[in-house]
Amino acid sequence: MKKQLLLVAVLLLSFSIKVDAQSKNTKGKQLFGDLTARHIGPALMSGRINDLENHPTNNRIIYAGTAGGGVWKSNDGGVTFNPIFDDYCQSIGAVEVDPNDPDNTIYVGTGETWTRNSVSYGDGLYKTVDGGVTWNKLGFENSDRIANIIVNPKNSNEIYVGVLGALWGDSEERGVYKSSDAGKTWDKILYTNQKTGCADLTMDPNNPKILYASMWEFRRTGWSFESGGKDSALYKSIDGGATWNKIHNGFPEGSLGRLAIAVAPSDSNILYTVIEAEKNERKGLYRSDDAGANWKQLNNDFGITVRPFYFSRIVVDPKNPDVVVKGGLSGSISRDGGKTFKNLGNMHSDIHDITFDIHNSDRMYAGTDGGVYRSLNGGTTMEIVENLPISQFYQVSVDDAEPYNIYGGLQDNGSWYGPSSSPGGIEARDWNSIGAGDGFRVLKHPTKNIIYSEMQGAENVWRYDVAAKRVKTIQPLPQKSFEKFRFNWNAPMAISAHQPNRFYMGSQYVHKSEDMGDTWTIISPDLTTNDPLKQDQSNSGGLSMDNSGAENHTTIFTIAESTLDENVIWVGTDDGNVQVTQDGGKTWTNTIANVPDLPKNTWTYHIEASVFNKGTAYVVFDGHTMNDMKPYTYKTTDFGKTWTSIITSDVVGSVRNIQEDYVNPDLLFLGTEFGLYITINGGKNWIKFTNNMPAVAVHFIELQKQTNDLVMGTHGRGIIIIDDISPLREINEEVLKEKVHFFTSKPTVIFEEGSFAGSFGAETQFVGANPSRAAQIKYHLSRRHTFGKMTLEIQDDNGKVISKLGPGKSKGINIVNWNYRLKNPKVAKGKTFSFGGFTSPLVEAGTYNVVLKKGKETFTQKIELIYDPKSNLSASDREVKHNTTMKMYNMTEELAYMVYELDAILEKAETLKKKKIVEKLTALKKTLVITTGDNYVGSAEPQLREKMSDLYSKIATSYDKPSNSELESLSIIEERFEVAKVDYQKIKKKVKFLDELNLKSFEEFIK
Amino acid sequence: MKKLLLVAVMFLGLVANAQTADEILATYYENIGGIENLKKIKGLKMTASVNQQGMEIPLEIYQMADGKQMSVINFQGKEIKQGVFDGETLWGHNFMTMKAEKSDAEATANMKLDMNDFPDAFIDYKEKGYKVELLGKETIDGAETFKIKLTKEPVTIDGKKEDSITYYFFDTENFVPIAIQSEIKSGPGKGMMSEITMSDYQEVEGLYFPFSMTQGVKGQPGAPLTITKIELNPTVDAALFAFPEEK
Repeated sequence: MKKQLLLVAVLLLSFSIKVDAQSKNTKGKQLFGDLTARHIGPALMSGRINDLENHPTNNRIIYAGTAGGGVWKSNDGGVTFNPIFDDYCQSIGAVEVDPNDPDNTIYVGTGETWTRNSVSYGDGLYKTVDGGVTWNKLGFENSDRIANIIVNPKNSNEIYVGVLGALWGDSEERGVYKSSDAGKTWDKILYTNQKTGCADLTMDPNNPKILYASMWEFRRTGWSFESGGKDSALYKSIDGGATWNKIHNGFPEGSLGRLAIAVAPSDSNILYTVIEAEKNERKGLYRSDDAGANWKQLNNDFGITVRPFYFSRIVVDPKNPDVVVKGGLSGSISRDGGKTFKNLGNMHSDIHDITFDIHNSDRMYAGTDGGVYRSLNGGTTMEIVENLPISQFYQVSVDDAEPYNIYGGLQDNGSWYGPSSSPGGIEARDWNSIGAGDGFRVLKHPTKNIIYSEMQGAENVWRYDVAAKRVKTIQPLPQKSFEKFRFNWNAPMAISAHQPNRFYMGSQYVHKSEDMGDTWTIISPDLTTNDPLKQDQSNSGGLSMDNSGAENHTTIFTIAESTLDENVIWVGTDDGNVQVTQDGGKTWTNTIANVPDLPKNTWTYHIEASVFNKGTAYVVFDGHTMNDMKPYTYKTTDFGKTWTSIITSDVVGSVRNIQEDYVNPDLLFLGTEFGLYITINGGKNWIKFTNNMPAVAVHFIELQKQTNDLVMGTHGRGIIIIDDISPLREINEEVLKEKVHFFTSKPTVIFEEGSFAGSFGAETQFVGANPSRAAQIKYHLSRRHTFGKMTLEIQDDNGKVISKLGPGKSKGINIVNWNYRLKNPKVAKGKTFSFGGFTSPLVEAGTYNVVLKKGKETFTQKIELIYDPKSNLSASDREVKHNTTMKMYNMTEELAYMVYELDAILEKAETLKKKKIVEKLTALKKTLVITTGDNYVGSAEPQLREKMSDLYSKIATSYDKPSNSELESLSIIEERFEVAKVDYQKIKKKVKFLDELNLKSFEEFIK
Repeated sequence: MKKLLLVAVMFLGLVANAQTADEILATYYENIGGIENLKKIKGLKMTASVNQQGMEIPLEIYQMADGKQMSVINFQGKEIKQGVFDGETLWGHNFMTMKAEKSDAEATANMKLDMNDFPDAFIDYKEKGYKVELLGKETIDGAETFKIKLTKEPVTIDGKKEDSITYYFFDTENFVPIAIQSEIKSGPGKGMMSEITMSDYQEVEGLYFPFSMTQGVKGQPGAPLTITKIELNPTVDAALFAFPEEK
């Protein structure tokens, strides 16, 4: 019986292992292990906020729903925030706290609702019942964007959701929905048509049966925007949504656009709406004093009517019905019931939402294109929240400096560059502004200290001489016998791996300069479809004209010169062409017809020219502006004659970017609307990377060559880095099967830089993490180690243990940091600490053995340390430094042992009342260690121990060899120690009870 | 090896059935040596070391059945006590003066709530008024786990009552916790998730304990604590837990 059972178990075991091996390839959490994303922000310019939400009873708690960076919660009245929605769609429309269970139940509606050209899209409604630790989706998968969620303050089961719906196409998943069972089932209770969605929904706070809903007819295409129509309307229901009536008495005639609605919490009869109408003089703020029966226009100032699709929120002071705030370019506040307005205090422009503190209306919060702002004086002075790293990058690039810098441009927040590591972490002050307006591509000149950057539509392209601080604009200017240039909002720029001064730009033509943008030559015909129907931007906007340049279409969007052949250039256009030249622009071939299974005119988002073969390239297409959210990624190996899809069902959402590894051609990185995917087999399957990596839109990926760091420009969570992806190059089916597989890594440079990092004023700032400077031991485990002993040691060639490390035990990739130091010396016991004695000396450069013991098995690997080649210490200097350090290390331990002995003798002598010995030893001890005082300002005069360990620490922590004065100081200490030793031996000789003390040997003592 | 295989049989047999939190906990207790044996323990003394930046810090951790506890760190031959609790007073040594100082009233009050949690908060959780809930499965350290939520008595944070919630992750293969997470309630890390991962389960007098724990913030590398010895029912002078009043 027992035997049989065992057999079954063996079978079962082998079966489960087999299943595991298969699932390894599909589950990132089981493969990537300690390979973890590092967020470096920046947060100093923050990013777009869509919705702010108060806690109904606790004014310390506030939520920010961001346009592309998820949901953030503050527990301290808006001083600092933490993310609580990282695993899901990061584009947020609305956040609602259940007023009946505000600490636990929160709803998040995804898909931002201020519908600019660059918005992302949502994937449904989520709910948590444990304060944000776990979330469940409640449906609305195709809702695209959710404008409002309202929970009945008297009944948690009754929920209303306003769905704005699809921006880029028809959809029936729009309107107002109601659930009576806490979200399990839903009824559509207000619906107009496939073009008209719910833009705003509110409930009378004093009567949950009364609802107001604004319906908005709107549509965006890649080339235009249309706001307004005959079906836009404002509705009221007095029966919990069963019936609805238009409330337009006093409204302007004709078509309406986006409407906002607000009820004064302190007086249910007072309503405000903002109306987008046909006639400019009839647009603006309207008020009703009879709960919507009649409306009166009060104000149509610029601040109230500006860009309704982008700003329409109205918020009424919870205590005073005449204090009204309206989102806008600057934000406006009225204290006379909406008759007159003034701007809110100075802050980042584009205010989307405002909220008042629940107890004190002087305290306000505003959500802008540049983060959350707080006010303590009713909106007059605004201060920015400094730890919301939700910056929206369009593009990112890197240089080859040490540490390397990262360059990129942001939605409405200019262009920036900053370091990948900085003393004390990457702080706000480490970032440098390198462009105004909206920022997009930023490129460093390959050899000179020059940076190129641009603003929207290439209105300005800047060439910045960093050292001389000189700026000039170099955008291509109109040329004879060429049509007017059409630049994309996010216009492509490119540099060359072959000619450092070469610089490309794309309009409908490819522009090439060989002198850093001073002289431009057009090297292509119009490479777009040149469809005139997509070029009528001056009529874009609908009821409110909106020709910002954001809708410019039939333009080139991506340019890539092959790093293998400068005559091979790839070009992709926003209207779906993929063009290639093999003769430096003389002839061009449009290869789009060779791309299978791709809807016509799908936006060519990025082309990656392979570094392995000049005929090989990757292209990603983004169809979301045609309401097509499917992923498209193709590869060619023959200059585009044939294209093969390398996308699989593993990938969800639009693809924005692809990055090829420089070493392993089968290792590819894919940036999508919902995060990063990695393939280790050329696209046969894709694995989502989720280690500290939110499901954020990844718009651009670069691989930094020297460090193998994967650098991502995300559209909502700033720059995210995965340090050293090289272990992924080695992963294959065989490696996954090994019990322990050590990855090879390049030699580690012993880090000797020092600096004066200070975090002055950074207490409430976001600080980006630095990469590890440690030597990293990397290995793959086929199973997680849970039972039995597992150890990891560093040994020298003689098997001597240099360091004991805590091994990683995860299934997947483990990374263990070794700071290449010995343990600190054993220090003599005194009254206080000898701080110098906490110094751990560096080991010497060389090769060390990594010994991993797991149960009874032992696995080994070599690890190499090298000195910084930039160091000017010679080998003999190094030797002097090391020998002196170790001499003092040993001396420190020798003294420690002497004091240990002395203390033991002293104690015994005291009990035996050997007065003379006690006196002599006490006198000697006073010269050896501190015997009074404390570790702070009560410290006593330093004695031999302190002098010795301080000098030891001074020499050990210096990058330099010991100086003459240090060596002189050492000889003084040595002499004093010699004298002490002689004195001690004299006393010790007279002690008769040594044998009774049972003293440890020196070796035992220092263990 | 045979034993292990047998254990594996047990585990595999139960994977399919273990659906409720109580079943998972029951298997857990069975696998680590039995709940009755666990309940008999009067105290634990752990000898351990933390390796931080080349500094190996030796420490001893005491946890007693009546809620008394302390950690004793040895720095340059000096004993520094941290997190000492005698059932009434929570205290520790100040690193500057090396004098004992009391913790704030809230921390002490919250500590008192945990006095009945030795050796394991799940034991008799119903009688203690705790709530246990199985939330589903989650991958931790690459391993599949059951995520179990434990809600204890509310704690007081900066003057306000808040739920005390801890998440335990039980390995679906061995049914032992390999990670514990809880939200950091105050201080600079407030709002972030703290995480302890556990491994190297080894037997001590018929009971299994994790001999390796790594503590930190979820998503960031933590500090590994290596336990070299666990002593059951140690004899400890109660006076060692008492706050030393200055004479």
